[in-house]
Amino acid sequence: MMSDRQIIELCAKHDRKAQKVLYEKYSHLLLGVCLRYASDKAEAEDILQDSFLKIFFNIKDFSGTGSFIGWLRKVAVNTAITHYHKNLKYRYHIEIEEYISIETGVSSFEEDFFTSDELYKVLNELPAGYRMVFNLYAVEGYKHKEIAEILGIDTNTSKSQYSRAKTVLREKLEKLGKLKSSYSENG
Amino acid sequence: MKLQSRRKNEVKTKKENINLRELYKLKLENAEIMPDSSVKSRLMHRVVIKEFMRFNPASFNIYYLGGILIAGITSAVILFSGSEASYKLKPLNITDKITSSDTVRYLQIELKKPDRKDSNISNLSYNKSRKSKEISGFSHVAVAEAAKTSRSTISRNPFPTGISNSIIKEELFPDTSAGKNKLKGRFKPDRMFIEPFASEGCAPMKIKFYNKSDSYDSCRWTFGDGGYSNEKDPEWIFDVEGEYKVVLELFKNDGKQLSNSAVVKVHPRPQAHFEILPEKAILPKDEIRFFNYSANAVQFRWDFGDGSTSELFEPRHRYIKFSNYNVHLVVFSDWGCSDSLTVINAFSGSEYSIEFPNAFVPNTQGPTGGYYSSKSDEAAQVFHPVFSGVTDYQLKIFSKLGILIFESNDINLGWDGYNKGQLCESGVYIWKVRGKFRNGEPFIRMGDVTLLGNRH
Repeated sequence: MMSDRQIIELCAKHDRKAQKVLYEKYSHLLLGVCLRYASDKAEAEDILQDSFLKIFFNIKDFSGTGSFIGWLRKVAVNTAITHYHKNLKYRYHIEIEEYISIETGVSSFEEDFFTSDELYKVLNELPAGYRMVFNLYAVEGYKHKEIAEILGIDTNTSKSQYSRAKTVLREKLEKLGKLKSSYSENG
Repeated sequence: MKLQSRRKNEVKTKKENINLRELYKLKLENAEIMPDSSVKSRLMHRVVIKEFMRFNPASFNIYYLGGILIAGITSAVILFSGSEASYKLKPLNITDKITSSDTVRYLQIELKKPDRKDSNISNLSYNKSRKSKEISGFSHVAVAEAAKTSRSTISRNPFPTGISNSIIKEELFPDTSAGKNKLKGRFKPDRMFIEPFASEGCAPMKIKFYNKSDSYDSCRWTFGDGGYSNEKDPEWIFDVEGEYKVVLELFKNDGKQLSNSAVVKVHPRPQAHFEILPEKAILPKDEIRFFNYSANAVQFRWDFGDGSTSELFEPRHRYIKFSNYNVHLVVFSDWGCSDSLTVINAFSGSEYSIEFPNAFVPNTQGPTGGYYSSKSDEAAQVFHPVFSGVTDYQLKIFSKLGILIFESNDINLGWDGYNKGQLCESGVYIWKVRGKFRNGEPFIRMGDVTLLGNRH
């Protein structure tokens, strides 16, 4: 079993075996990241492949300080962003209405009520723009200002899209929750 | 167990529960998904290719040498075949002029024939039928090749006409005995000017073609979708998406023939389609949801009819008051083709109505109380409306002098023709009703009703 350090050194020399080891070790985790940014698994796997290409060819750029996993994760997120930009059908987005954020009841969720699969599915169904903002803000922890820069949108757009994404997610989860409860009631 | 947890949610035991953001961060930040096994092999394949493409002099080896050789041979072949194509397309000046308007697109193809080469070619223009077929087939290949190679290569035409003519002679040298058969030779343009897409649009696309050529006897347009026309300037509708090669052929009575082509690209038109929920919405109480079933569309513009709009895929909207709104959706495909759908009077269903009769015959035996049903009041003893979907209701009956003699806030309570226990006089009375339908639409109606005396 190679350590991360050994893997990194060998990958920098384009050692095929080390690349495979690196893939085996981290592809699951990175696909978990990619799937959050994709609309289905096939798209996520495309992003994953591109991410690994970047990782293999730029592994020299990893400074060695800081967490390697963090670096891998960042590459995957950046690849997902590039992917999103590439697939953007129309670049201009005109925000017509000022969005007023309405919190429809402060619902909270029990941690283990939904499976990861269900959470992914609901997330995958979001429009791509919402999904980007939601992931970057809620999971990756970027600020709206940073997201606005990354995605080339207005800060307010980022805020309003995040808010809308949350509303849609919450609604879908609540619906799913009701469905699940009624199953367990009947079962 | 799960049921319990739902209940907990409802009670909002905040300590144990988390909000949406925390939920996703906690559950998905470090989630692991198993990639398909094919992903790895495809990835490694790409790695190999990418490493190969990143030319590294240190690892220069037989593969690079092979690659260079293959590239060299390929480009030589391309160059050679490209020049072949250019001298098989002979003396014609062709210009395409394209103008377009919103509704109809025009495509003009102009074939002009320089006189100097006329004699030269007419010498060559007889042949056997079998051979002529071969030639025309061959010439199609040349056209296709010309279309593939870039325009500059073709229009440059580095070969002097003398050479090309001699080649034509070799190829088309007439079999003199065959001259009697009425056969066609073929002109070959030396300058093909083909736009990659002469015209592009959305299906169904109507195009007017103009034949700007002179000195020919008949022409034939083939549109590439199986249709053809012998008109000079035909109009054609492409109703199926695709790329069509439109060919104009000109014929002279002496058997000469010319052709030119252009490509028309027809993009699919998106389809706007949506549904409004709830089906029998109550305005302004209900928040209206719009479910988008549009096909082939990437951009959406909603107009809710009350002055507000949205570009969301599936917007929601809250109306401030009831009115007969027209909801309008325009969708755009990625190429910019659009389609729209308007639902007129989206919220006033025909299922809501209220109608009053213009006469009734009260029971002379005494007041009936005014409560009725459609069965119990076959004799029309009570003045009442026929209605559906009414929620709020107020009926007032006035005498001709304007005195209020009856009032009801219950739609099931009509007027039995009595006032304070006394049967009212026969004659005309005025009624006024106001209320609301279930969808929130208010109504006010007025009219008169004739109280008929009993015949007995």
